[in-house]
This record gives sequence, structure tokens and C-alpha cells, in this order.
Amino acid sequence: MKRRLNFVKFLILPGAMLILAGISAGIISGAWGAIPTGLIIAGIVVIGLWMLLIGRFKDPLEPSFWRRRSTQASTNAIVSTIAVLVILGLINFLAVRSAQRIDLTESRLFTLSPESQQVLREMQQGVKVWVFSSDRNPQDVDLLENYQRRTPKFTFEYIDPQTNPGLAQAFGIKNAGDNRDVFIELQSSKRRQFLQSISSQARLSENRVTNGILQITSDRRSKAYFLQGHGEKSLTDGEGAISNSVKALEEKNFTSAPLNLAQLGKVPADASVVLVVGATRALAEGEVKALQDYSNQGGNLLIAIDPNIKSGLDALLGTWGVKLDDRIAINAPDQRLTNAGPAVSVVTQYGAHPITKDFGNGISFYPIARPIDITQTPGIQATPLLLTDPQSWAESNIKQQPLKLDGGDRPGPLAIGVALERIVTPTVSPSPSPSPSPTASPSPSPTASPAKPARMIIFGNSTFVVNGFFNQQLNGDVFLNSVTWLSQDQLQPLSIRPKEVRNRRIVLTNEQAVLIGFLALGLVPLFGFVSAGVVWWQRR
Amino acid sequence: MKTVLFNTLAIYRRELLSYFTSPLAYTIAAVFWLISGFLFTVTLDGVIQQAAQYDQAAAAGIRTAPIDIPYEFIRTILGVIGSLSLFVLPVLSMGLYAEERKRGTLELLATSPLTNWAVAVGKLLGVMTFFFTMSLPLLLYEAIALSNINPPIQLNVLLLGHAGLLLLAGAVLSLGMFMSSLTDSTIVAAIFTFALVMALWVVDLVAKNFGGAIGEAIGHLSLLKHYTNLIQGIVDTSSLVVFASYIFLGIFLTAQSIDTFRFQRS
Repeated sequence: MKRRLNFVKFLILPGAMLILAGISAGIISGAWGAIPTGLIIAGIVVIGLWMLLIGRFKDPLEPSFWRRRSTQASTNAIVSTIAVLVILGLINFLAVRSAQRIDLTESRLFTLSPESQQVLREMQQGVKVWVFSSDRNPQDVDLLENYQRRTPKFTFEYIDPQTNPGLAQAFGIKNAGDNRDVFIELQSSKRRQFLQSISSQARLSENRVTNGILQITSDRRSKAYFLQGHGEKSLTDGEGAISNSVKALEEKNFTSAPLNLAQLGKVPADASVVLVVGATRALAEGEVKALQDYSNQGGNLLIAIDPNIKSGLDALLGTWGVKLDDRIAINAPDQRLTNAGPAVSVVTQYGAHPITKDFGNGISFYPIARPIDITQTPGIQATPLLLTDPQSWAESNIKQQPLKLDGGDRPGPLAIGVALERIVTPTVSPSPSPSPSPTASPSPSPTASPAKPARMIIFGNSTFVVNGFFNQQLNGDVFLNSVTWLSQDQLQPLSIRPKEVRNRRIVLTNEQAVLIGFLALGLVPLFGFVSAGVVWWQRR
Repeated sequence: MKTVLFNTLAIYRRELLSYFTSPLAYTIAAVFWLISGFLFTVTLDGVIQQAAQYDQAAAAGIRTAPIDIPYEFIRTILGVIGSLSLFVLPVLSMGLYAEERKRGTLELLATSPLTNWAVAVGKLLGVMTFFFTMSLPLLLYEAIALSNINPPIQLNVLLLGHAGLLLLAGAVLSLGMFMSSLTDSTIVAAIFTFALVMALWVVDLVAKNFGGAIGEAIGHLSLLKHYTNLIQGIVDTSSLVVFASYIFLGIFLTAQSIDTFRFQRS
């Protein structure tokens, strides 16, 4: 009997195996159903049996297993070890909960700016950032974790668009090339908004994230009014419509609405920007007056007028020092797009302006554009946005073939897009400028809020935003960035300076490089080996 | 209390002395110095070349952000040395108790009036001091490499990084000491320590699969995550607590293990 039951002391092995099998099954299946739990319970029962029975059938002269001193010591050790593990676990739990971080880097690289902290403190609703990328860049994760640490209302998730195409489609991501899209979503209403594109060059920026939070949590959406009634491009789907542009604006937190100035008589007060895209008939005098008034009160206008159109806006544009040229921009022969006529302007040069700062040498193109003349006017800052190739020219006689630069023509480069900002002088001064000085908003204290600058963008072409062209190359970005820039003073986004690190280089003199090499690869290791040899020799 | 402290110091002194008279210790140090020296020069060259390429791009008109090359270098080299240490530290800790077991001196130690705790702490301090000495040449190279930078770098990130290295070493050595106390084979101790440390090094990869609170808890065990924090220049109190927990756990388990050893032999 005793001999036969000797196998009991090996029972611990199957017991442990059963528990292990149960845990593996649970992890692999991902669900702790009947089989894994059953296996684990069986294992515990077997081990329990082992604990009860062990040592019971041994030599009767020896003290039984449970009464041995060593067993007591082991049990003691196991119990106290478990206790210590639990205590350490609790300490760590508390430590994580109340973790304090001190950033010792020089420019406080890993700390959110005070502005962001303020935004997070005042955040009422839950916000989630979606990154459609398969690789988690540690720098980006760090930034997002910094947000998350500040408030539990902020969450983020990385989504691989390849493995989760449904979600990617729901967001309408446009991952192109190296670029990966980042979206922000308001948890309560599931409203989503494009935040930025990240790539190996462009990391997630705190500025964008914080402003994204501000924008999406504020109920204020910028309102963009599209002037209608003079043959402008239609906002609803159809041939030659700009419905794609309107949708893209919606993603940028704009609401779009048609505007009929002939009926209303003035621009509504909630307008962030008024767009006149592709009018084919002249505006009535009253309408121009309404636009002029709107602009004088710090309004923002985007005007895109095709060539050979009498828009009736000349007087308004004149006050800004802008004149629309009646000629047509002809592209340089070696700059022409294949399958496109000579009148398609291909732009690869952009003016230095917030709108175009990320464009580099990217392409945007404008079928049949007119150049724009700028006269420098005091108080108005004008920046040419889009510049055609130096070899291009403005053609006065389009019927004459072949097209070449001759009399009456004007050599390039031509500006076919211009951004203007009227610099407002807060105190009323006798300004020599012909433009009426903009009326500052009637605020009781002049220091409370600076007067709004009026902004205007003029394009010598309106076709570049219609549905077929909008999504090609940089055309959409030119338009969206322009509207965003125009409406910016409405939203008053925080400008958070990016974490600028000190620009430093390691400078090594030749002697230093040699010294390091000599020490690191020669002297120090040699010292170790020689000492080892000497000690070994002495001990021998 | 005073005697415990005195005993700890005595053990510490004995351990240190044994390192300075052991050819094996010198050999380990020499190999570490050779490899770390090689990695140092290679990393330095790489970083300098990267900066040169960067400057070329900037000269060619490509928009580039400013970059703090010394900071990047400190971060990179300490990361590299941290990984190298993972291979060296188990070798340092493997003999702490296993050697005593093999020579039969562990009985003397276990039955001596010294408490197990004092012995363990003394041994750990000894081996940590030895590792610290081993890492000192690196500081010298760094001082030379970063000496004529304008504007001069602030030392706090560098020193914090080295403190982080020492904390990492403490955690690994402490766990290694426990492994060493379980067996009389130094090789087995080294291999098990290495396996354990590897697991703790990459455990955040596992944690990512879990997600949620469990994933976070598992990820918290990762040594790499906390070490990276420190060498980047962030002092996170929870990271310090993790390292302290590992060190304490190692010492505690060693003391327990020797305690049970005492009775198993009787």
C-alpha cells in the first residue's frame, strides 16, 4: 500500500502542467471559458492533493513532511514572499497613480506647454485622437501620453489602416506615400476632424493637437459663406461644382452656406469668411458695397475670378492695391503638363506665407489663369502666393498662333494668387492711404482686444477647386489653407511655439578624436587584460 | 543596528577585495571596456556623420529643424551601454552565492551570526560598486567628447543617465544575486538571470497585445521603458519606485532563499 502510493510525491508535476495548460489556453483563445478555467481548477485540485498526501506514506521513523523544520521554513518563505509581492505591487500601483515627472532636459522637451495644460484643465468633453499608422513613433506616443497623463478625458489609439480598412474608410483617410493621417474625435457627438498628416519628417505637433482640441470642443464652428447669384460654382454635386471643396472644409470644422447678397443686403454677422468663387457676371453695386463694408469691419474675403470676366469688383480690389490683369498666363513650354494646353499654369514656386510654408516644390495647377498686379500700398501687406515659372508670360492675344512672347505681353514670373492683410493701426491717424482706415471694433478698453485685421486672398482662377481638380496635387491644400488662414482670427488659435532644441553640434579636434580612440580601444581595455594577467600570475 | 551595519560593511569590504584579487573580474571588466569603447567610438562617429549630413541638407536649402546632437548622442550611447550591460551584469552576479555554495562556504555564511539581509546587502553593494567602477571610463570619454561644445551642455541629463544606468544595474544584479543563491552552478545562474532580465526588458511588447489595465500593469514591469525615461532626462517617480522594488525584491528573495537553505541542509 505504502509503496504503491509513492507516486503521490510526483503529483506536483501534472498539477503544475494542468495550470500551465489552462493559462496558455486562456491566453491563446483570449477568453477564459470553461476549458481554461476547468484546467486551472483541476491543476489546483491535484496540487492540493499533493500537499495533503505528501510524506504521509514514508518511513514512519522520519517526521512527516509537514512537521519537518525545512517544510516549515519553506512555507514561511512562500507566505512571506507572497506578502512582499503583494505589498510591492500595491506600492507600485500607488506610485503609478500619483506619479510625478520632472523634466530635466534643457528646453523641457517632454513637458506640455502651459497653454496646452490650460486647455486640458478646462476641457469638459472626452476627446480621442486616432492615428492611422502602423508604426508607433516613440516621440509621438510620448506626446500623446503626456496629454493622457494630464486628463483621463483624453485618449488616443493607433489604427493600422491595412488591418482595419472599415474604420479607415469611415474616417476617409488619405494616407498618401509616407504621410499618415491623424484625426481627432469628440467622444460625445462622434464629430471627427482631420488634425494633421504625420510622416518620418513631420512629427505630431503639440500646436496642432492642442488647437484641434480647442476647435473640436468649442461649439463655435467657423462659417464660410459662398456668394451665389452671378454664375458662381455650385455647392451641390454636379458638373463643375465645388462640392468636394465644401466637404473638405466641413472636415476642417467649417460650416458652409450659400449667400445671396441681393436679398440680404449685408454679410451676416457670423461669417468667418466670404468666398466669391468663379462669378461669371458682374456683381451689382449694392453687393459690392456690402462686401466692402464687411471687409472694412475686419471681414475676410476669398475671391477667385477667371480671365475675361468683368466681376464688378475692381473698385473694391483697387482699395487693396490689387488689379486683375486681363491677359492670360501662358506656361513655359518645358513646364507644361502632358495632355494639357499651354494655358494651364503649373505652379511650383510659392511665396513665403503661412499658407504655403509646407508646400516646398510641390505642384498645383490652374487651368486658364489671369495674373494679378499688386501696387504696394501703405498699411497693406501683400504677399504673392502662387508664382508661375520665370519662362511663362501673360498673353494678350490668345488667338494668334503660335503663342509667343511679343508686344503687349508681359514676361513672367506672374503672380496668380495673392494674400493680403490690412495692418490695422489702433490709433486713428491721418493715413495717406486711399483706403478708408478700417474701423476698429468698438471695444471699451483699447488694450482688451486688438482690432481685427482684415484679410483677403485673390486667385486669378476658379477652376482649380472644382471637383475634378480639387483632389489633385496641392490644389486642395492651397484652397483649404487659404480659407483656414482667412478665418484664423475668428478662432484665435493658440500659437504654441514648437519645442525648439538648441542647435548644437559635437565639435571634436583631431587630438581629442585620437585621444578617445586611444583610450577607448587601447589603453583602458589593455589595462584590464594586463591586470587580469598579473593577478592570475600572482595567484598561481 | 550598529552591528548589522558593521557586518554589512565587512561583507562589502570582503566582496570588493575579492574583485580586486580575481583575474575573472579583471577579465570581465577588460572585455566590457573593450566592447563599450568600441561602441562608443562607433556611435560617436555615426552621430557626427549624421549631423554632417543634416548640415549638408540644410546648406542645400532643405528646411531642417535645429537638432541637439550632444543630447542625441548621450541618449544613444546610454541606450547602447544599457543593452550591453544586460549581457555583462548576469556574469557579474552569477558567482555571488553560487561560488560560495560550490566551495562550501555558504554553510559558514548561513550559520554565522550575520543576518542574511546584511550579507545580501553587502554583496549587492560590492558588485554595484564594481560595476560603477567599470562604467567610469565612459564618463571620461564623454567628458572629452563633449568638452568643447558651444553653448556648453548642461550636465544634468548626462548625470541622470548614468544614475539610471546604475539603477538598472542594481535591479539586474539584485535579481541575479537571487538566481545565484538558488544554484551551485554559476553558468545556470547566469543563464537564468539573463533570461529573466531579457523578459523584463521586452515585456512591454507583450503588454501591447493585452491592452487595457492589464497591459498597462505588465508594461510597468518593463525595465527598458523606465531606463529610457531616465536617459532621456525625465525623472518619473514611478520609474524610481520600480527600480527600488526590483532591488528590494532581489535582496528579500535572496535572504529568504538562504534562510530555507539553512534548514534544508540540517
